[in-house]
This record gives sequence, C-alpha cells and structure tokens, in this order.
Amino acid sequence: MNRPARLKNPLRSRSEVILRGTVVCALVIFFVTFFVIPIFMVFGGSFFRWNPLKGQLNFLGLDNWKRVFTSDLFWRSMGNTVFFAAVATVFRVVLGLALASALYSRLIKHKSVYRVLYYLPTITPLVAVAFVWKFIFDPRIGLLDQLLNTNINWLFDSRYAMVAILILTIWKDFGYAVIILLGGMYSLPQDCYEAAEVDGAGAWQRFRRLTLPLLKPTILFIVITSLISYFQTYIPVMVLTQGGPGTQTYLASYLIYEEAFSKYNFGYASALSFVLFIFIALLTGLSFKVSGKSDDT
Amino acid sequence: MKQKVGSASLNIILIVCSVLTILPFLWMLCSSFKTNAEINALAQTFLPQNFTAQNYADVLQKFDFLRYFLNSLFYALVITVVTVYTSALAGFVLCKYRFKGRQMLFTLILMTMMVPGVVTIIPRYSMMQFFGWLDTYRALIIPSVFTPFGIFMMRQACTSIPNEILEAARIDGANEFYTFHRIVLPQLRNSIVSISIFQFLWAWDDYLWPYLIIRSGDKQLLSVALNLFSGRYSTDYAGLFAATAIAIIPVVIFYIIFQKRFVEGVSASAVKG
Repeated sequence: MNRPARLKNPLRSRSEVILRGTVVCALVIFFVTFFVIPIFMVFGGSFFRWNPLKGQLNFLGLDNWKRVFTSDLFWRSMGNTVFFAAVATVFRVVLGLALASALYSRLIKHKSVYRVLYYLPTITPLVAVAFVWKFIFDPRIGLLDQLLNTNINWLFDSRYAMVAILILTIWKDFGYAVIILLGGMYSLPQDCYEAAEVDGAGAWQRFRRLTLPLLKPTILFIVITSLISYFQTYIPVMVLTQGGPGTQTYLASYLIYEEAFSKYNFGYASALSFVLFIFIALLTGLSFKVSGKSDDT
Repeated sequence: MKQKVGSASLNIILIVCSVLTILPFLWMLCSSFKTNAEINALAQTFLPQNFTAQNYADVLQKFDFLRYFLNSLFYALVITVVTVYTSALAGFVLCKYRFKGRQMLFTLILMTMMVPGVVTIIPRYSMMQFFGWLDTYRALIIPSVFTPFGIFMMRQACTSIPNEILEAARIDGANEFYTFHRIVLPQLRNSIVSISIFQFLWAWDDYLWPYLIIRSGDKQLLSVALNLFSGRYSTDYAGLFAATAIAIIPVVIFYIIFQKRFVEGVSASAVKG
C-alpha cells in the first residue's frame, strides 16, 4: 500500500512526514479529548447522581431522564426557548433585510459609516452590554422609561421580562444580518436588475421578485445560524432576570447552567443538555435538508 | 422630486436606527461620569451636570479593575496568537498534504462546530478537575488550542496558494518547516489578520469558562469581575457604569481601528460558510 503512494509523491520528504504526523496526531488527540469524549461523558453521566463537589457518582438508571420529561420547568423552558429563538430570528432577518435594502439603494451616501455603526453592538462583550441594558430597563434610573414616558418595571413584570431580553438580543445582533445580507446583495448579478428596471419594475417588485429569491441561500444561512445560537442563549437571562419573574424567562441553556453550576446536579444537567444537543442536531440536519432542496430548484 | 422624498425617508430610517444603536453606549458613557447622587436623582439629565472621573479612579484603585483588565488582555492575546498559529498549521496540512483519512479528519473538525458549548462544558469541567487544573490559566488556554472555525478558514485560504510555489521551494531543498514559516505564512497575511480580530474579541467576551475555572481573585478576567462586582455592590451604579465602560471602550477603539477588516472578514466567512 505504501509503495505506490510514495511513487506518486517522489518529493515527500522526512520533514513532511514529521510535520504531517505531528499535526494530525495533535488534531486527533485534541478533538477526541475535548469534543468526542465529552459527548459520551454527558450521555453516560446522565444515568448517574453526579456531584463533582462532593465527589459523588451513584448509578441512578433512568431517573434523571424521567425527571427531565416530567419536569414542568423543563417544558416551560423549552417553550420559552422556541418562542425566544423564533421571535429573535424573525426580527433579525426582517430588520437585516430592511436596512440592507435601504443601504443598498443608490440614493444613500456614507454607506460605510452606517455599516460600522450597525455592527458595533455585535462586537462588544455580551456580559458588559447586558449590564448596560439592565440599567436602561431600570424603572428608577433607566433610560427606556424616560424616553417612552412610561413607568414599566421591565425586568420584574411578567408581561415585559421576555420582551426586555428580546430587545437586548435584537439590538445586539441585527447588525450582523445587515452586513451579511448587504454583502449578499452586492454579489447578485447586476444585469437582472437593469433588465427589470428597463421593463418598468418598481422598487418593491424588484425586491419581491428578484432580491428575495436570489438571496434565499444567504437568508437561510442567517436563519440557521441564528436559531442554533439562540437555542444556546443564557447570558442575557443570567444578567437581567435570572429566569424570573416566576419562570417567565427560563431558557433551556439557562436551566442547564443553573442545574450544573449553581446546584452542581451534573447528572441531571447532563440529561438536560443531551436533550438540547439532540434538538439542535435535528434542527441543523433539518435546515441542511431544506437548504439543500432550495439549491436544486 | 420623487427621488428626493425617497432619499430623505431612507436616510431618516437609517439615521434613526443608528441613533438607537449607539444611544445605549452614549448613555452608559455619560452616566459613568456622574455621581451616584445625580444618577439617583428624580430629575434625570442625559449629560452629567457635575462632571467627575472619580468613578473610574475608584474602580481602578479600590477594586483592582486594572489588574482584571490586564489579565483579560493577556488571556485574549495568548489565545489569539496560539489559535491563529495552530489554525494556519492545521489548515496548511489539511489542504496541501494528501493522506489517508484526511477528509474524515476535516469532517470531524467541521462537525465539532455544531456541538453546543453547554453540552461540552460539564464534562470539560470534570476533566479539568481530574487533571488538577482548576484555577490555572492552563485550563483556560489548553481546551482552546485549536478552533474549528480557524482551521476551516485557514484551509480555505490555503487553497489559493499555488502548489508550484511549494514545489519550487522543495526543489531548492527547503524542508517543510521552512516552507510553512517562510512561504505559506506570509501568503496567509489577510486571513491571519481577520481571524486574529475575531479570536481576540471572542476571548475578550469569554465568560462562563473563566468564571468556572478561575477561583482566586487576582487571576480573574474582566467580564467575570464585572459580574462579581455587580453582585457585591449592586447599588453603586456610578461604579458599575465605570466598570462596564472599562470592559467596552477598549473593544470599541479596537473595532474602529480595524473596522474595514471586520466588515470584509464577516462577509467572507458567511460566503464561504
């Protein structure tokens, strides 16, 4: 087996073998240690009462799994997560499309200034901006109630707590969609637009009939990556509401984080996170199928 | 006439969105120069009435935020240098060498990009405990030595390096280490810059992992320190505004310096992804 390969590559040298061997070994060791083994550990650990602080590891069988599927808080948090991810993704895509189209227009100057401004929230550290928004939502010192001339206790009112988390998330993330979609628009074939304009298609028609269908792959990319990352959101919840009021803003990842690292129920948290993992994997697979189909047509 | 109305309305929409985008930053910055009395006052003003920089002095001296700032800077720089180098090396090997299992290895690496962080964090924590690495920077850096994102980007970038250059170097007697460091790395300049920027920001943004790993106060990173500070002094709004500003302002300056690279890098990663 070795010989013909060597003949094909007469210049394969000793240094190549060493370099290749080292890098491949390092890669395999690293990815097996920090990704493959952890997935097995999470699955295995979900059958144990596992507390790393007490050094506890007792076999429980299916108890953790039964607890997951009979837990009201788990279902509540999954419901919240689906709602949160769907709303945040819709706003991100719609705002992104609207602002990217406006920026794409020939009537607009200083495009790069807008782009730089819109992307600013995305690059700032999430924990820090979550604190800024915590104060903005504060009913006593906060900016939002002053601007709206309202007296809403955003973070402690069960009607508004999730809205507050959504506002922070949308504010932080819309700029990414603007930049990606604008980049997508610039790569579209210009002659289609010129032809459409000659034929008398208005701006809305051009957007509806040309831009939207042509941008479908880019839009799908944003929808998929957004859903995956919103299913894992927990920092805004941790800083703003800690899941409250009641269980109004419990997101699945926040629940896992709380079970694992405030209560140190590693076994139960493992079962929870494995469920979330399967959910995200299914979502990813499904979205690849959808985007694959759209490429064929 | 119709064009003028259109251009004006588009501009108004864009400007309103820009204001909404930067207003939180401006408000935080202004508030960080107010006294606590002024922040808590009934009549609120946007600009500070009695301008004071005392909040910053307090936070930096009494609570050692300068230390946390330097720790974060050190951590982010190390992560950036290490991951960019390993990504370039792995990208080069996976792109330019033919060997058995190459495609499988690359697919494995890509698949790990889909594994959510919340899933791996529990077993990784147990591993660090098992290795006895809790409360060390080793535990922060070693699990991030390779990044799937960086390897993926670098492998893409390597495809644009012509094989002829590498062959020519080999015929001249250069070994592979020389070829990689002197010929391949300079060609990857653009990718190195854009991946560095992202890695640096992501490391600066890291929260949960350092929070779990680092126990002693003098090793703590900035975003964790910010959260701990807020738990302890939840009513010291002025101090909290200043502390938050310290975590955000350097990133904003960094962003403004490299803004062109950012926009290019983001678009490139999406088109290729």
